[in-house]
Amino acid sequence: MLLDRKQYLGGYLLKDLKHLIYFENLLQEANNELVKQGKADGKRAIGYTCYFMPEVLLDLPGCFSVRLRAPGCTSPDIATYYLSGRVCHYARSLLERALEGGYNFLDAQMGTETCTATCRFQEHIQQKHLDSVEDMRIIDNDDFFCTFTDIPFKNTKNSYDHFETQLRAHVLEPLHEHFGIDVSDEAILKAIEEHNEVCRLINEIGEYRKLDNPTITGYEFHVIQLVSLCCPKYLILPYLRETAEEMKTREPNLKKEFRCKVVLAGSENDDPDFTKLVEGCGALVVCDRFCYGAVESRIPIELEEGKSPLRCIAEHYLKTSNCPRFMPQDEMRARKKRLADLAKEYHADGIIVASNKFCEYWSYERVIDTFILKRDYGIPVCSIEKEYINSASGQLRTRFQAFVESIEIKQIQEGN
Amino acid sequence: MAKKNPIKAVKDFWCGKPHTAEEGGRRLGDLYEDKTGLLKHREWRGVKDTFYYMYNIWGYNYVHMVLDILKFSNNPIDFFKGTWRYRWMGQTYLPVIHWFERGLQGMRGEALAASAWHYRAMVSASIHQICNFFNADTRLHGGKENDAYKHTIYANETTCGTLFYPWKDAGYQYLPMEMIPYFVTCHVNSHTVLNYIDAVQSIGLPGDPCPMCQAESGLFVLDDVPDSAPIIITCNEACDASVSTHTLQDWFANKPLFALPIPMQFDDPLVKKYCMNEIEEMWKFIEEQTGVPFSWESMKKYLERQNKLQRDEWEKWDVASKTDYYPINGVAQALFRIYSTQYGVQTSCWEEASEKVKKIMYKCVEKKINPFPQTRHRVIAWSCAPLYFSNWCTWAYNCWGLNTIINMDSLMFDMEIRTDSYENMLEDMATYHMWAPMRRMAVGGMHHIFELWDYMKRFNCDMVAMYDQLQCKGMQGVHGLFEDEFRKRNINAFWIPHALPDCRTVSRAEIRRQINDYMTTVMHEEPLDPSLLDFDDSMTW
Amino acid sequence: MKKLKKALLKLCLIFVLLNVGLFVIFFFDLDGKLLFNVVEPFLKKHYDNMERKDTLQEPYDLDKFPKYKYD
Repeated sequence: MLLDRKQYLGGYLLKDLKHLIYFENLLQEANNELVKQGKADGKRAIGYTCYFMPEVLLDLPGCFSVRLRAPGCTSPDIATYYLSGRVCHYARSLLERALEGGYNFLDAQMGTETCTATCRFQEHIQQKHLDSVEDMRIIDNDDFFCTFTDIPFKNTKNSYDHFETQLRAHVLEPLHEHFGIDVSDEAILKAIEEHNEVCRLINEIGEYRKLDNPTITGYEFHVIQLVSLCCPKYLILPYLRETAEEMKTREPNLKKEFRCKVVLAGSENDDPDFTKLVEGCGALVVCDRFCYGAVESRIPIELEEGKSPLRCIAEHYLKTSNCPRFMPQDEMRARKKRLADLAKEYHADGIIVASNKFCEYWSYERVIDTFILKRDYGIPVCSIEKEYINSASGQLRTRFQAFVESIEIKQIQEGN
Repeated sequence: MAKKNPIKAVKDFWCGKPHTAEEGGRRLGDLYEDKTGLLKHREWRGVKDTFYYMYNIWGYNYVHMVLDILKFSNNPIDFFKGTWRYRWMGQTYLPVIHWFERGLQGMRGEALAASAWHYRAMVSASIHQICNFFNADTRLHGGKENDAYKHTIYANETTCGTLFYPWKDAGYQYLPMEMIPYFVTCHVNSHTVLNYIDAVQSIGLPGDPCPMCQAESGLFVLDDVPDSAPIIITCNEACDASVSTHTLQDWFANKPLFALPIPMQFDDPLVKKYCMNEIEEMWKFIEEQTGVPFSWESMKKYLERQNKLQRDEWEKWDVASKTDYYPINGVAQALFRIYSTQYGVQTSCWEEASEKVKKIMYKCVEKKINPFPQTRHRVIAWSCAPLYFSNWCTWAYNCWGLNTIINMDSLMFDMEIRTDSYENMLEDMATYHMWAPMRRMAVGGMHHIFELWDYMKRFNCDMVAMYDQLQCKGMQGVHGLFEDEFRKRNINAFWIPHALPDCRTVSRAEIRRQINDYMTTVMHEEPLDPSLLDFDDSMTW
Repeated sequence: MKKLKKALLKLCLIFVLLNVGLFVIFFFDLDGKLLFNVVEPFLKKHYDNMERKDTLQEPYDLDKFPKYKYD
């Protein structure tokens, strides 16, 4: 059984963050209170699933980005008919939620074929594009459209050129044509400014995880990071500012309430309850290097002289990603070191690498991480496979508890 | 007991038994030994065809397997050393003739002869690759990096051989790393690959990623890939798992590796330039590593040969689509096409076989010979096929009269590459590479996978055999849409569930049962040969 | 002449016997049976017992290879 909220967070542990319950409520559905407000303000809601779709471009004045989630979707039955039960639960849950009408608020979906499963989900909601298949009209919104951007696999000039071209053709131009969004350099600069403020605040809040006795839990941070991805930036910013301010005076517990610190790495994870599950076993999650995590997505975008804002964005998203989709030899090898460096930077005692079932990228990456991080960097690794919504929490808890114990034994043996 | 009709007995002896149960039937299923799939005895196909098979196929191919080794091997001893060293080699190479048997069962006359030529070419090309592996393998030469080693370029098996023509005349040999150790073995002897799948799962990989990629990684885990080249080219054909496979391969091979990514959204005209640049960067890598410059002459020469092969294929498809005189059976057609396009014209065996087959084909056209007279349905096979049961089409024809005319994999690479200028060549090369097997259809947008309807029309097919590769995320992701469309269009389609190389997931018997069920319960048809409905070949190669 | 006839007859006999032998092997799938029941189990045992390199010990160097970039 999970620890209840009071036992785990409130009362005798850290003082509750003022907006935490509000944030948690925002995560209950995709079309949350702030999304509704954004729409009511006359802005267009633009959905996306992958880090490689630069959210900053979807936050141009006149529209806002919503990184899609399907909270509480435990039995995606109709989606399983369409996608079969053998693709990742995340993609199926998204399709199920779409079929239920949960994404009818979307005005557009900015698709990427960065993993096959989410690509297929997005193709299902793409309207009237093929004569060979009847249009399902899943998103019941006359304005809705879906385009795909081709994402490169490398960090080279050719890749940057290509990505820039793609973003212009498949993101900026459609937004302008369909909704009259201003896609000028000035507008992009404004979006970058707002984006960077979100990054600054999230990083500021996240920095407290590096303390010897952190004043924020991994769960809390996960919730905060997620609301920053799922709500209009201009509406969530005041809350983030307030939370960052609140963090400055938040007192740590007198006694450490955790047994070890870990980096949580792996595939798609937008379920804060998973982080809570890990922390309930005594491992404080101090760093979140997974899809939807903050490690990459909250690195501020830097502008370079002589380069257009769009070019800077294209380069930024390729350079900052640690996705196992990158193919070059040097990048394949370097990302293991980057993970080890994160463990060092956040003073973590171990790394949990979690891949979603049927996620091919992370199934492989997890194997190699498990060996290399332990062998070459001496970092204990717990390697697990999980579902999008975790029904097998009992089994996972046993794994995490065993991992925590093994770290403690290691520490005793090392005389710490 | 029914009295034997002596006239019929003589006729059966001379011409072979008739196909259908009503006419007395061949009862091919009775020829199998239980479980092993070995034959109690080979089928008597009549005097002419039996002896044609014995001398021109069975004997001819045994002899030519030896001659090919002598022809392609620098030192035949290496061949034996390699056989002793590599499981995929020893376990696979010997039952090759049984692979013929499975694919050619029940065939007569022109169908038997023409299909066997396709098999012959595949075997010859495979031996060519095997010899190239062993000529260069440092493990077979006391760790020495010999001249052959220095003149070999390794590439992932889905990186098409066409890309390496510029160095062919300078003596450089392109070798698809997994094509023989993995892909070919699955067709010939499905036992071998299971070791590699188990090996990669033993180091923690879950069982759900594409089993092809699992096997490709497992080869490296078990250290069963020859050390035959100083450099490796990888590409992202066809899917997420292919990309990830290279992370493990890179670790275990530990050699200079160049990644050649191909854009996913290949219908987008904007991606072409990117793809062309990537190909050129790969060529620069090869130039840098080998010290040998790109040769336009060499490129042009082999591309022209390849284009000729493509035109030959179009001629064959033309006959297949418009007449009943196409003499190649489903499995021979599909495999020949995949093997030849993927490996490219690295040897002349494809052209030689193609010429012979065309001759037989035009004889059928001229004399109006229907090589598959018991055809009840013209079938198009869609998506990727079960490698361990690629001969299901032969079984389906013998049992149900389902004649597989064309399949999806054959339709990849369906183009010529212009050779009039470097620029045109490069542009076509980009398209060509984006149209590789399991790329054009399975990923990169839904458009191409639903071209099925057009191809059904073009090849005059009335039924679809829909492969259901249980671990292919791209194909699983369109499962429901296909179901919907089949219903809406009132198309007869049956599903063939499978796990590509892994016969443990869905057995051959299960595949046959699914087809049987469809043919009896939906089509309400009677089998041509009831002995083939159900038999146990669980241990077969 | 007689000798030649005899030799020719012998040759014919050998040719016939060889073909009969081949036919028996071919028709009764003796090659398949030999490979399945004898050769493959023998080779399988050999491969199963073969000493193999522990590939997991392969180094994973970060700087062994340059970045292959051709901008």
